Formats: sequence, structure tokens, C-alpha cells
Amino acid sequence: MSGINHILDMAARALLSEQAGLEVTGHNVANVNTPGYSRQRVNLETASPLPSPWGPLGDGVKVQGIQRAFDPFITARLDEKTAAFMEYQARKAFLDQVAALFNETNEAALTDRLSAFWASWHDLANNPAGSAERQTLQQNALSLCETLNFQADRLALERSSLEQQVGPLLHEINAHAARIAQLNGEIQAAEAGGQLANDLRDQRQMELSRLADLTGIRYYTSGDGLINVNLVNGTSLVQGVRSWTLDFSEGADDSLAIFWNGPNGLRENITASLSGGKLAALLAVRDSLIPSYQQNLDQIARELIAAVNSLHTQGVGLDLFASATGTYAVIDPDLPLGSSGLTFGDRIVDGSLEILVERNGFLLASSTIAVTPDLTLNEVVNVINNDPNLGGLVTASLDGNRLKISTNQASDTLGFVRDSSGILLALGLNTFFAGDKAYTLAVNPWVLENPGLIAAGRFDATGARAPGDNRNALALAALENAPAGPDGLTFAQAYRRLVTDIGLETERAGQEALFYQKLVDQLTQMRDAVSGVSLDEELANLIRFQRAYQAAARLISVADELYQTLLALKR
Amino acid sequence: MRVSMPTIFHNIQSNLQKLAEDLQAVNIGIASGRKYQSISDSPLDVGEIMGLETEASQMTQFQRNLDTGRNWLASTEVTIQKINDIVQETMALANQMATGTYNAAQRAAAAQQVQGYIEEIMQLGNTRVQDQYILSGYKTDTPPFVMGDWQIREPVMYLQPGSTGQVIAGGSYTGTASRTYLVEISSGGATGVATFRVSDDGGRTWSEAAVTGIGVALGTEGVLADFSGNWRAGDRFYISASQPILYQGDKHIREISIGPQSRLAVTQVGSEAVGGAGGPFDVFQVLARLKGSLEANDPQGAGAALEELRTCHSHLTGILASLGAALNRVNIKSDVLETLKGELTDKLSIRGDTDPVEAVNALKTKETAYQAALLASAKVMNLSLLDYL
Repeated sequence: MSGINHILDMAARALLSEQAGLEVTGHNVANVNTPGYSRQRVNLETASPLPSPWGPLGDGVKVQGIQRAFDPFITARLDEKTAAFMEYQARKAFLDQVAALFNETNEAALTDRLSAFWASWHDLANNPAGSAERQTLQQNALSLCETLNFQADRLALERSSLEQQVGPLLHEINAHAARIAQLNGEIQAAEAGGQLANDLRDQRQMELSRLADLTGIRYYTSGDGLINVNLVNGTSLVQGVRSWTLDFSEGADDSLAIFWNGPNGLRENITASLSGGKLAALLAVRDSLIPSYQQNLDQIARELIAAVNSLHTQGVGLDLFASATGTYAVIDPDLPLGSSGLTFGDRIVDGSLEILVERNGFLLASSTIAVTPDLTLNEVVNVINNDPNLGGLVTASLDGNRLKISTNQASDTLGFVRDSSGILLALGLNTFFAGDKAYTLAVNPWVLENPGLIAAGRFDATGARAPGDNRNALALAALENAPAGPDGLTFAQAYRRLVTDIGLETERAGQEALFYQKLVDQLTQMRDAVSGVSLDEELANLIRFQRAYQAAARLISVADELYQTLLALKR
Repeated sequence: MRVSMPTIFHNIQSNLQKLAEDLQAVNIGIASGRKYQSISDSPLDVGEIMGLETEASQMTQFQRNLDTGRNWLASTEVTIQKINDIVQETMALANQMATGTYNAAQRAAAAQQVQGYIEEIMQLGNTRVQDQYILSGYKTDTPPFVMGDWQIREPVMYLQPGSTGQVIAGGSYTGTASRTYLVEISSGGATGVATFRVSDDGGRTWSEAAVTGIGVALGTEGVLADFSGNWRAGDRFYISASQPILYQGDKHIREISIGPQSRLAVTQVGSEAVGGAGGPFDVFQVLARLKGSLEANDPQGAGAALEELRTCHSHLTGILASLGAALNRVNIKSDVLETLKGELTDKLSIRGDTDPVEAVNALKTKETAYQAALLASAKVMNLSLLDYL
């Protein structure tokens, strides 16, 4: 029914609609910097026309609803790429810390220490009797040990600091999952009336994105507006309004296991199938990369100890031993040496060892002892103590499951000659280094106490020795260029390979991060192109709605004038 | 495409951040002088730099070894050279004394001179480098040459034709100075019949005649002679008592490392180069024989010693030549190492050092880009419809 009242009605609805437009515009402008906010717009539609004698008459405008500009497909892809980006970025950050330990671009790094160590052997070969040369060698060996110890220690620390981050990270994942489940519930309730809960949906999307930063997820919308979240392997994290939690425990092999706690007390180890996000990077660096570097470093240290010690045991220093104790202990003195837990027990072969006793610096007695890997430490002790030539001169005993040999008289000293069996290396007698890996590498305390025990020379066939003998020092110095270990690389080359590996891994993580960053940037732009607020646009809308509002208001005043004109007729 | 506020500001921020990072990297490169600050900057280059550095430090060490070697070789050369000079002087002396124009007193004086030479050679042989004896082999703490206990030497015989006289020297010397007993058979006959006289000053004064026999004392200082065979008047022999020079070192030759696979011998074994252990090249024994012949006023013995000295001289000259060759090798090797080190330094510098020209250029470029980005950003940020309403 047309009439002035109809005009007023229409104008009032227009006012309300344009006002809604202004409010939504205001909401957009206010949230221009809100992360995760999707711009909203008022959907206006023409109201159902009224029947009139001259056909359907327009009934003005009405608000159909408020819609948020959101493209679920772009956002899903963005979240996926963000998970990959976050994984590599975290990986790069963790590896950067590892790489800093091996920063060979600095001076005084391990390469320099290693060179200085070998150079000291050269210097000792140049002046085998020199005490300054011996002390320099001690110092350079110590700083080599310290550098390796430091690197091994820091690698272990790095692992434990990564482990400390796992708990909070899983807590965060659980919190996000719980929040998503809660929002699912709220959205379900809010949308029961049929209207979209735009801002709650934005919040839920935000939670999803944050969850994707932490671990790789897949999510899909069920018909009723709920979102279900799965981990990449399909394990459910959020199911409707319920969420499941993750936790972790440390395994026997020192690696971490991530567990999923599902419904009905279901508990499942999902470590292997995790991918994406900070969590995957953390696990990869902690339980795969760092252990491989540790193993590599330990391998280098072990080969260094074996190579230096096995040559050192063949030599003799300026002084002999009044008493010598091995640096390696067996687990049981009644087990064969080859299988009694000695680090270098596998290097014992059938052979012999000569023990020699000097009195006041002159050769007194010597005896050759046959050695096999089947001997037990107790048997070695007995053989030495019952030797016809050495009996009464030296005493062998056990010192904390280590072999100890001492001379019986203060005027006597003992030395080890021509060990073809490797037993000295295995027991740590007349050795230069002690320890069995990078962290435990140390200079043998006997050598540290008396630099005269550094074996620069060798015994002659007659048991004679001389201070100017540099044969052993020359042989040790030549180790610098000798292949060591299974790959036939020198120590410097093996270490270089490790450093290059770490560098390449870090570089690769950085490049991947950069690649995914580009993708994420691109997808973010695409998302923002749809969902982002443009102030210029909003300002234009502001004017648009304002003008329409003004026009609607004018319509009211026109209708008012119409009434007044009509009422004036009666007067 | 719709351009929204987040897009504009995100772009501005990330671009500026990227440029600032680049600028910072170039800046650190210039300030530190190093191209790479972390192993992940260029793992392969850093690996190569590590290898080059290892190589360079080895070169430095081999240079040090060569310096030590040069020091030892040069000291040995000087020592042997001086000994050779003395041998040459002694040869001149022996040459003079082998002629008949000198008398017993002059030869006795020459014998004193030879004793001086022996002691001088011994002292030269005991030369030390860095507190280490250079001619003792590995026994660098032991002087290679020492004076031994008094020793009675084998007799030197000059028999008349048809004489079958033999003598064995014995006893133990109790004197304190070296002495040579010259014996002359005054009347021939079988041992026990023949008589002899003794002189301990080269035949200037003689003792009373005595009968030959077993264990006959010559002089009063413990030298005994066992005569045997048939003697003729005019048979002569002499027996010297002297302190021999003995070698105390060992036979090892000290080596140093001058390359990854190569070693260089830097010492000489004293007993083989100079003497003290017998053999044709034992300078000390040759000189002792010369001295004995001079004390006995024996020009023929001096002549024989001269021949032996010639052998020693050429032996020493041979050693000097080999030392010279070794020193030459050291110098060549040292030059080679120097060149290699120069090349390594160049390579290291190219790989690892910041190229200042390039870096400053890059800094300028980045700076300009940064400024341009700032300018453009400021303009874009200021654009708003708001200003026109």
C-alpha cells in the first residue's frame, strides 16, 4: 500500500541499512591492524516489492546479512606452507647455534688447534730433548682437547636446551587445540540462528594458523560449521568440540618420543609421522642431526686417540716410569681383554710386549711377554709378576680394574718396548691421550705431570735410548698427513667434512626457509587481497553510506513536508 | 588485485628489513675483513679455506723445520771445514817432517804441535748447537769425543834385511805425558843373546845396552816389550804410549721432516766422519801415529802418516760436499715453500678476504637502494584518501 507512510517506512529502513553499512565500515577501520581479521561487508538487497494497482512497487532496501571476505582455500594453503616455513625457519635457527660451535671462519678454531698440535710434534722432532718444546706440546695438546671437549659439551647442551623447549611447545599445541574445540562450540551456538559468527570464525582461523606454526596440520569443515583438525599423519587433534592432547617422554636411546593421548586412554607414539612446524624441526635437530654430528666428532676424537697413542706406545721419553697406571679400566679383570669393555680392546692382536727395567739409568733386565686378546687382566698381572727376568724387580697389580706396574726399588725405572699386540693402547699405558670420545679426550695425566714421558724417541734393539732420538716424534708429526679412520681422510679433512656438512645443512635450512617465506608472502598477499582492510576503500564506503544516509534522511524530511502540506489543506 | 593495508605495510616492512640485512652483511664483511662470518655463509668455500689454512700452517712448520735443519747442517759444515783445515795444516807439517832435513829436536817440537791439533780437533768435534752435541748421533747429551785411558800402541818396525825379529808391546803405562820409546838392536843374534838400547827422546840420548827377552821393560813407566826371533844389529822399532780419542756417540743420523713425505738427514756420525772408532778415516789415530813417528824421529813414518792424512782429507772433503749439497737442498726447498706459501696466501685471500673495492661498491649500491626504498615507502605510506576529503 503506497502512501506517505510507505515513504517514511522505506526511508527509515534505508537509514538503518546505511547505518549498518557505516557500522561495519567502522568495524573494518577499527580492525585494520588486527591480525587474522577478515574484512566484513553488509549485504544489502532490495526489499520485497509491494503489490500496487500499477504493478509491484519497490519497498526500498533491507540488510540481508553481514559477510566476511574470506577464501578458505587460500587460507588452507597458506597454513600448510606456513607449517613448512616455520619448520625450516626453526631448523635454521637451531642449526645456526650448532654452526656457531664449529665456526671455522674465526681464528683459533679447531683447525688451528689441530695444526698447532702437529706443529708441536715437529718442533719436538727438531729438538727432542728440549723442555720448552715438550711444554709447548703439552699446552697445544691441552687446548686441542679443550676445544673438542667444549664442542662436545655444547652439542650435548644444545640437545638438552632443545629438549626443554619440547614441553612448552606441546603445551602450546594442546592449548590451541583446546581453544579450537571451544571455539567450535561457541560458533555452533552463535550460528544456531542462521547468521555467521564472523569474528569467532576469524578467531578460530587465527588459532588454526598458530597451530600450523607449531606442527603440520590438516583441517576440514564439517557441514555444521565445525572444523576438525588432524595431524599430518591423520591422527585427530580436534574432533568437533573435543580435543586430544600430545605429550612426550625420553626414550632409552636418549631420543624423544611424542605421544598422542586419544579417547578412552588410547596412547600412541606418533614421533615418526610428525612433519612440519617448529616441533618437527626441533625433533629433527635434536634427535637426528646433532647426534650424527656428535658421532662424527667422537669418531674423529677416537681415531686421533688411537693413532697418536698407538705410535706413542712404541716410543720412549727422556724418563722411564717408576710406576705406570693405565688410563682405561676393564669391567671385569677375569674377562678376556678383547671383550672386557675396553674402548680399544678390539685392537689387541696376538703379539708380544717387552718390559724393560733400568737401574740408575742403565739397562738391568728385560723380558718379552706374549699377549693375546684372550688374556684376562688378572692373567696379565700374574704373567708379569711371575716372569723369571722381571720377578722381584717390578710388581703388577690392579688399580680400580686398571693395570698398574711399579718397580720395587726407588733406583729402578721401567719402560715398554716394541708392543706388537696393541695391549698398551688398549690399557692406556705409555699413551699420550686419555679418554675415548670428544667429550672425554684429555692428555694422559702421567704425561701432563712429567713432560719427560712424552715419547719422542725409541728404544734400540739393544734396549739403548738417547735424548736426541726424534724418530717417534717424526712419526707422530707425520700423522698429520696420514689417512685415519675408515674413509681414508686425514684428521683435518675428516673434521673439515663434518664442518662442511653442518654448514651445508644450515645453508639448506636457510634456503628452504627463504623459499617457503616467499610462498607464504605470496599467499599472505593473496589472502590479504581478499580479506585485508583497505582504508581508502573503507573511506570511500564511509562517504557512500554517509551520502545514502543523508539522502534517506532527506526523504524523511520530504515525507514530513508532504504531511505538512496535506495537513495544511484542512486549515 | 585488491591492495589492502596489511599488504602495503607488510611489503614495506619486509623489503626494508631485507635491505637492512644486506646492508649489515656488507658492513660486517668490510669491518671484519672476512667474506664469511659463519660456516653456513658458503660451506664449500669455508671448507676450502680450512684446507688452505691447514696447508699454510704446515708450510710454516716445514719452514721452521728447514731453519732448524739449516742451523744443524751449517754448524756441522763449519765444524768439519775447520777440522779439514787442521788436517791440511797437519799435512803440510807431515810433509816437512817426512824430509830428512829436520833433526830430532825439531821433530819433537812438531810432535807437540800435532798433540795440539788432536786436542783442537777433539774440541771442534764436541761442538754444540742449542746445547746438543752435533756429532754424537742421538746421544746429544754426551760429548762425542773423549780422551781415553793411556794406551801402549803397536810397535812400528824397521828391520835390517835378513832379520826375523818380532816384538809385542805390553804392560800398562804409568806416565802422565805421551812418550815414544825408540829401540835399536846394538848387537845381533837370537832373542836372549841380542842386546838393545832405548831412547825416549827420538835418539838424542840412549840408555845402556840390555839383553833382549820376554817382558823387558822399556824405560821406567811400565811399557814392556816381548822380543822374539833373530835380530840383527841396526834393527829399530818404536813403541808409543798415548791417550786415544774415543767416540762415545751412537751411529744414528738425525733426520728432520721437510715435507709431508720427505725427510732430510741433518747430522753426521762423529765416528764415521771424524774418527774415534778406528778405520782408515779415523783422523785421531792417524794423527797419533804421526805424533809417534815424530817423537821417534822417524821421517819415513811421517811420510806414511802423510799418505793416511791425504785419505782423511779427501774423506772430509767428500763429507763437506754432501753437506753443501744438503744445505743447497734446504735452500731450494725453502724457496719452494716460500713460493707455495705466497700462492696459498693469495688463494686464501681470494677465497676468504673481503675485496674492499667490491665491498665498498656493494655498500654504496645497497645504501642507495635502501634510501630509495625509504623514500618510496614514505611516499606510499602517506597516500590516503583521508587527505583529500
